[in-house]
Amino acid sequence: MESRFLGLAYLTPYIIGLLVFTMIPFLASLYLSFTDYTLINSPVWIGLENFRDLLDDRTFKRSLNVTLLYVFLTVPLKLAFALFIAVILNYRLRGIGLFRTAYYVPSILGGSIAIAVLWRYIFADAGLVNLVLTSIGLDPINWFGDPVNALFTLALLRTWQFGSAMVIFLAALQAVDKSLYEAAAIDGANKWHSFWHITMPLITPVIFFNLIMQMVQAFQEFNGPYVITGGGPLRSTYLLPLYIYDEAFKNFNMGYASAIAWVLFVIIMILTLVAFWSSKKWVYYAGDKRS
Amino acid sequence: MKLLSTTILAGVLATGAQAETLRMSWWGGDARHAQTQEALNYCGPKLGHEVAAEFTGWSGHQERITTQIAGRTEADIMQINWPWLPLFSRQGDGFADLRDYADIIDLSQFSEAQLAGGEMNGVLNGIPVSTTGRVFFFNKTNFDKVGLPIPQTWDDVIAAAPVFREQLGEDHYPFEAAGLNAIFLVSGAVTQATGKDLIDNETMTVAWTEEELLEGIRFYENLVESGAIRSWRQVAGEGNIELFEMRPWSDGRIAGTFEWDSAYAKYADPLGADQELVPVPMLTIGGSVTEGTYSKPSMLFSISQHSEHPEAAAEIINCLLNDPEAIEILGDSRGVPASKVAFDLLQGGDLINENVAAANALVLNGSGPIVSPFNEHPRVRDAFADNLEGVAYGQISAEDAAADIISSINRALRQFRS
Repeated sequence: MESRFLGLAYLTPYIIGLLVFTMIPFLASLYLSFTDYTLINSPVWIGLENFRDLLDDRTFKRSLNVTLLYVFLTVPLKLAFALFIAVILNYRLRGIGLFRTAYYVPSILGGSIAIAVLWRYIFADAGLVNLVLTSIGLDPINWFGDPVNALFTLALLRTWQFGSAMVIFLAALQAVDKSLYEAAAIDGANKWHSFWHITMPLITPVIFFNLIMQMVQAFQEFNGPYVITGGGPLRSTYLLPLYIYDEAFKNFNMGYASAIAWVLFVIIMILTLVAFWSSKKWVYYAGDKRS
Repeated sequence: MKLLSTTILAGVLATGAQAETLRMSWWGGDARHAQTQEALNYCGPKLGHEVAAEFTGWSGHQERITTQIAGRTEADIMQINWPWLPLFSRQGDGFADLRDYADIIDLSQFSEAQLAGGEMNGVLNGIPVSTTGRVFFFNKTNFDKVGLPIPQTWDDVIAAAPVFREQLGEDHYPFEAAGLNAIFLVSGAVTQATGKDLIDNETMTVAWTEEELLEGIRFYENLVESGAIRSWRQVAGEGNIELFEMRPWSDGRIAGTFEWDSAYAKYADPLGADQELVPVPMLTIGGSVTEGTYSKPSMLFSISQHSEHPEAAAEIINCLLNDPEAIEILGDSRGVPASKVAFDLLQGGDLINENVAAANALVLNGSGPIVSPFNEHPRVRDAFADNLEGVAYGQISAEDAAADIISSINRALRQFRS
């Protein structure tokens, strides 16, 4: 095969997958968002009616608020924790490779239903966490029965899956020129000064990358609330992906579900654009002339 | 080779349809999965067909079927939940008309009333496998332990609460009801008091007044306040799992529930051999005009409207419902069978668990208004669940909940009015 076609041949499976499983559903959902589509019958064009209905939909508003709260709670928590662990794992300790692997494991397992089930048992009323709390003389906590605790418990599950963000942070930390630390030490800087004035500015592009990735993923969280809390109590963990799923497959309202999905998409886009806009003020790239 | 040809020929000749490859989907627990596969392994070869089994748990099964029907990839034979009929086949055209295959399926084994439960718009969309209903189950061992008889009335349950706490511990309760069970209890109380089902099928509106529903909600609040059941918050603390999966149920700290009669094994098995679960006639509230038994055709066997081999599918359905050997294999895995031949065979052979049979008898002999399938419409359920949960958490008053439940359900039913 000619070399100019070889690259295309390698890419073809991915392109087909992208078209069939991403682009076609993506465009189809845009069309369906303007229709009344019950899944059983053919879609009927209704213009902007689905989007107008969203304005009066209490469940949508509640779900949107919960989703935003979840994202704003989870993303900073996860990034801070991933960076913290990455800094620790950046030290040259004996057996550090083993630790790096061990800390990455939750990310491989984290999204699975099995881990969500495990989480449910750990935080259940008579679960491991409450067992530990009572064994040290503390009162047990109703993790899933209290609306605030329930969302926090789900946020913890996502935070626990910090491995992929950590690995990227670790790579960035290892790329920082060591001579900068030596020069700072000679000038009398302590570890905190070095971290804050050298490490942090130099890894801001990676923080920015992780911020975008984690935010997009958090907006799409489904497994955790579906398995662990079912969206309750009081819909305090009823994230938008759950609402989309219920509208589409339980209430036979695929048109409306598509409209919600597109609103979610626009929200993610706006927040991503805001992040890009703000990045000019806090992200530093190599060769950047700002001081 | 000659033997093989003869066998294949015999298989084909034994049936009206050609040898076909079919798919059958159902939901259920492990016992049902194993027994149904075994029955298909019997019926398939007997009729010369190959049947691929597609089975899941209850959770998510409706969504799976919905997606398949939308994509026209549903199985040839489907186990369908009765309340799904108006969702999938409002005009009766969502599934094949099984009367078209009356020469294959022996419909004489079912009463007209039973078959009517599987009809939509006069079209026989599904054959009821059994009749099911909500039944009270109590852990007799625990009531024996505290020296109390099994409750016969709600007053008995409420009176048992302090005895359980004193003799067994603060975390012991005679009953459990949150989520779906709370909906059934509130609905049951209103039905008992009024003699009316939630939905008036003629007008497709809520048949109860706000005051009537309010009394039902107050009845539920009273159960929580008296300590007869755990609060909604406590139950939610267990996570998104069903009662039979919870430790307080399996270790006997919860001594009663209100479940489908066919779910007996699901709730009895986790208790172990040292605890006995028994079905109990409907508990009633003072001044009841009916028992308010919530009974309905349980699951139905339907044939896909898009099946390329409906005759072969009909043969398999007939085998599963009416063939003596298949009946014995399936046993009571789908409750007490509706088919006469199956019922007689299982009862005569002592093949039905006595508690399952007793629970089913309570359903069949119970009184109450005809239940609308829209009671189980997702939006109707959501309206109830959201408001009852709001009351349970002190977010809204019982009065506001009653008003919102009725207006939300009426709104949801609007699209089904002719």
